[in-house]
Amino acid sequence: MSVATIKRQGKDKILLSIIGYTTLIILAILCVIPFVLILSSSLTDENAILVNGYKFIPSVFSLEAYKLLFEHPEDMLRSYAVTISVTAIGTFVGLFLTAMTAYVLCRKDFKWRNGFTFYFFFTTLFSGGLVPWYLLITNYLQWKDTLTVLIVPSLMSVFFLLVMRTFMSSIPEAITESAKIDGAGDFRIFLQLIIPLSKPALATIGLFTALRYWNDWYMALLFISDDRLAPLQYYLYKMLGNMEGLRRAMLGSGGGVAIDIPGESLKMAMTVVACGPILFAYPFIQKYFVQGLTIGAVKG
Amino acid sequence: MRERKHQFWHDVVKNRTLLLMLAPAVLLFFLFSYIPMSGIVIAFKRFDYVGGVFGSPWAGLDNFKFFFESGDAWRVTRNTVLYNLGFIVLSNLIPMLTAILLFEVGGKWFRKITQSLLFLPYFISWVVVGSIAYSFFAFDVGTINGILKWVGMEPIDIYNTPSYWPVILLLVHTWKSLGYGTVMYLAAITSIDREMYEAADMDGANVFQRIRSVTIPNLYPTVIILVLLAIGNIFQGDFGMFYNMVGNNGLLFSSTDVIDTFVFRLLMGSNEIGMSAAAGVYQSVLGFITILLANYAVRRYDKERALF
Amino acid sequence: MSQRSKRKLGITLTSVLATALVLSACGGNNAGNNTGGNTPAANNTASNSANTGSEGQSGVDTSQEVKLKMVLLGAKPADYDQVFGEMNKILKEKINATIEAEFLAWSDWGQKYPLKFAANEDFDIIYTSNWAQYSDQATKGGFLELTDDLLSKYAPQTWAAMPKVKWDQARIEGKVYMIPSNKANEFTDKLVLIRDDLREKYGLEPVNSPETYAAYLKAVAKNEKAMTPYGLESAETTNHNLDKLLLIQKNNWKEFSGLPFSVKTTDEKAQVFNMYETPEFDQLLTYYKDLADNGGWSRNALTTKGSTTDDFKVGKVASMTHNVTALGGVLADAQKAHPDWKLALVDLSPESNKSAAISTQNGMAVHATSKNAERALMALDLFQNDKQLHDLAMYGVAGVNFTPEGDDKFTKTDKYGNYNSFSNWAWTSTLDRVDSNYPQVAQDVEKLWAGKVYNYKLESFVFDKTKVVNEVANVGNVMMRYLVPLEYGLIKDLDKGKADLIKQMKAAGSDKIQAELQAQIDAFLAQQK
Repeated sequence: MSVATIKRQGKDKILLSIIGYTTLIILAILCVIPFVLILSSSLTDENAILVNGYKFIPSVFSLEAYKLLFEHPEDMLRSYAVTISVTAIGTFVGLFLTAMTAYVLCRKDFKWRNGFTFYFFFTTLFSGGLVPWYLLITNYLQWKDTLTVLIVPSLMSVFFLLVMRTFMSSIPEAITESAKIDGAGDFRIFLQLIIPLSKPALATIGLFTALRYWNDWYMALLFISDDRLAPLQYYLYKMLGNMEGLRRAMLGSGGGVAIDIPGESLKMAMTVVACGPILFAYPFIQKYFVQGLTIGAVKG
Repeated sequence: MRERKHQFWHDVVKNRTLLLMLAPAVLLFFLFSYIPMSGIVIAFKRFDYVGGVFGSPWAGLDNFKFFFESGDAWRVTRNTVLYNLGFIVLSNLIPMLTAILLFEVGGKWFRKITQSLLFLPYFISWVVVGSIAYSFFAFDVGTINGILKWVGMEPIDIYNTPSYWPVILLLVHTWKSLGYGTVMYLAAITSIDREMYEAADMDGANVFQRIRSVTIPNLYPTVIILVLLAIGNIFQGDFGMFYNMVGNNGLLFSSTDVIDTFVFRLLMGSNEIGMSAAAGVYQSVLGFITILLANYAVRRYDKERALF
Repeated sequence: MSQRSKRKLGITLTSVLATALVLSACGGNNAGNNTGGNTPAANNTASNSANTGSEGQSGVDTSQEVKLKMVLLGAKPADYDQVFGEMNKILKEKINATIEAEFLAWSDWGQKYPLKFAANEDFDIIYTSNWAQYSDQATKGGFLELTDDLLSKYAPQTWAAMPKVKWDQARIEGKVYMIPSNKANEFTDKLVLIRDDLREKYGLEPVNSPETYAAYLKAVAKNEKAMTPYGLESAETTNHNLDKLLLIQKNNWKEFSGLPFSVKTTDEKAQVFNMYETPEFDQLLTYYKDLADNGGWSRNALTTKGSTTDDFKVGKVASMTHNVTALGGVLADAQKAHPDWKLALVDLSPESNKSAAISTQNGMAVHATSKNAERALMALDLFQNDKQLHDLAMYGVAGVNFTPEGDDKFTKTDKYGNYNSFSNWAWTSTLDRVDSNYPQVAQDVEKLWAGKVYNYKLESFVFDKTKVVNEVANVGNVMMRYLVPLEYGLIKDLDKGKADLIKQMKAAGSDKIQAELQAQIDAFLAQQK
């Protein structure tokens, strides 16, 4: 490499760094600002929010919202436990199934891959709605009030499946070909060659799957009435809903009870409580999910 | 005939491992998607509890009438498609560029932290986004007008001016999905074969040339799949977003009404399962036709990149 | 990436969500939300259920113990075990039954409620109300029809105590499906709550008419920069919140909620007309425009977030509207927090007649497929008419959740909220106690109004929308889009705005609804004769 090339490369790298850091920092600020507002509001006295609106620094500091959230710490912790177990199991199994299916669908020598892709894709277009779905799960499968209902129906998503297929199709075909020639079976090729080669994809789809489990309250809303099985998001959702509903209902029926619920600050505190762990813990445990799959690969 | 059948079984045996690997997913989708899908018949029925899903009396196309007789069917359908097109462009383009920058400039820690920060908006529910937006946009107490007044400009009446809203909604949507898209594109970039970069460097390409000639072309498959997947749902409006940002503000409907908010409003207060199912069928059928066309177009361009 | 979330449930979910939101619009005036004509002819047809007549004509066989499953709305009370335990002791002794309640949280009852019927889950008794789709669930076959025979046999006390008009109001196509709550004085009329201290501060005349009210709002707008003069009760309606007070109540009209039509309550012929084509409305529109231009309400009234009640209590809003019970509660709370405020409840049309609340506001129904319908009715009978059980069911355990004062009053204890977290107002009755902290001014209003209740033939009429359901949906949408902005003064040219509104309503089929409404009313009146 000539000196001139190095010099030029240095210049364009500097330029890119300037553009890159500026843009990224601006974007990050845009994403952080509303969150700071939320954090600060969650720590502000409810009346102060009603009077002054949301502020970046709490005008009247108060932990009332968090106190209310943790009024029954054992319930809160249990809901965390439910969410964490559901997320962990669901992500691991779901990720494995997604990867395995995606691999088959990206095998160019698999005759029916287009047919099967269509089979999966079609389900994103048409849906029978809520009633038959509810009937299936409550009357036929009888999965009401079980952890199964929180995990199994959400194991796979077509979106993740097809994105995974795309990622995997960038793996050179030659790898599969040569392994086949060596006499390896399809499943072994998948476990021992494809999984280790798909680490970035697995990490990403794993994150998305985990987020989906973490944020899901709708399954619980429909099928969980036993409070001990309520996942975090549903627990929070129900808490807020009950407070607001009660307030409205009381107003409507003229109950006239003085209910001082920190509605605004509570909403904000819930956002903080719900996103904290997954957002800051996941990047660190992410690799264990991927490693888990890869270790399975080595043993397999 | 017999020959064909024989061939079929031969293929099944040949592909038995692959088919077995597919089996769990096929079963899962059969159980949780295809079986309940039979409920589509509700759109053509006058649903009651005595008859249930299949026993209720047929209603023909009656359930579709409310939508088409409204006179607004075309307007809300057009709005839905235009918004979704905007979302597709922006929420692919911006995250892609962000991911490229993040990949090129950052160290490991910078990358991780920025990624996490960009993800923050994803966690804020639309209800909360709606409240925060109000505190920014409100006429008398909003931050934006506060700033405008401070610099000596006329305040603007955002909540009563329909023309601001397409821009606002596009920006908010992009903002909220930025982290998600960035992580996805970052994974795609990370999967690109190192050797290609080295080859580009050897050719004396500068960073920008390398991005243009190596990184971006390698992202095409990801872009295509994401766009195709989004196109299938191009007739579905993001209800949570539109409802919480706009609510029932009649003045803004002309530029913010999408199929989902419109149907929601029309059926508010009644419990017509059949009518909402009909609206769903309308969206699905249009989406299905669109995706078939889009997929056909992609197939003609490059068979490998098509969805199916 | 807009479709990463599961779209499976799609729009169906959206529409079911509607139900949840309707709750917020339930200010106590959704009376017109029913379908079903009214044929008061005695209904002697036997119930289609297999539950009737398992026993001879004499007493009821209660030898077999049953467990009744009851579905209620709201949060499960913290003191559920204690209170329901006490209740079950009484029920066990009297009718050999116990109750097990399931609570559908406020946040999601709207989605779960219809599903429980659709999946035909096992339950016996369920809360219902005109705002919880009473008529809809009834016409779809979700509830057991309560014939006169069933009621007089299994709920004799209720049958005797309930005024006939309340049963009539609960009829769907001539059939009763709920035991309505039997509260004595409940009004749908609305009042305004104002800060009388501010009124005095600016030396204004006492507020007692639309004009004096406008003067008050404008004075607040001018002098109190940090305050919103009028806070909206709800932004989720198809007209201005004040229409109810300044158009309907003032002129003695009967509205049909969600529709642009009214009839004069005094009109023997009950001629249906469009409220928004009357000279009264033209006047009101000018009144609104003047208020809007003078800052009478927020410029962002259509998008207001947050709750007016809260804003009023902290002094950010200077007046709000609601029914008397609700405002009484707000008044008591606000006064407690700000002893220096002077608050006033104002009737803006004191001359007008008052209307009693429609009975379907709250009630309990029996599931169509309940295996224990008789016992369910017997239990509901006791809920309304057994003093001991009624006290428990309404207020919780005496001495723990409330303190009884004599026979008809009570005070709340700190633990009142440990029981009162759900729809227990479903069985209000003549045995109710009055909260001794309920403000005197509100009680005075109720007393005054009780003498002004106007009963008219059309009172128990409910409009059956079945034949014009599409038109009703579309006209509602037009009102939201053209009427509401016009009334809040957001459209500069009133005449053009009004012309647009009328044109759009016609295009959406308002004439067809009007004709159908008139036809139903005529038939209803013909039968009354």
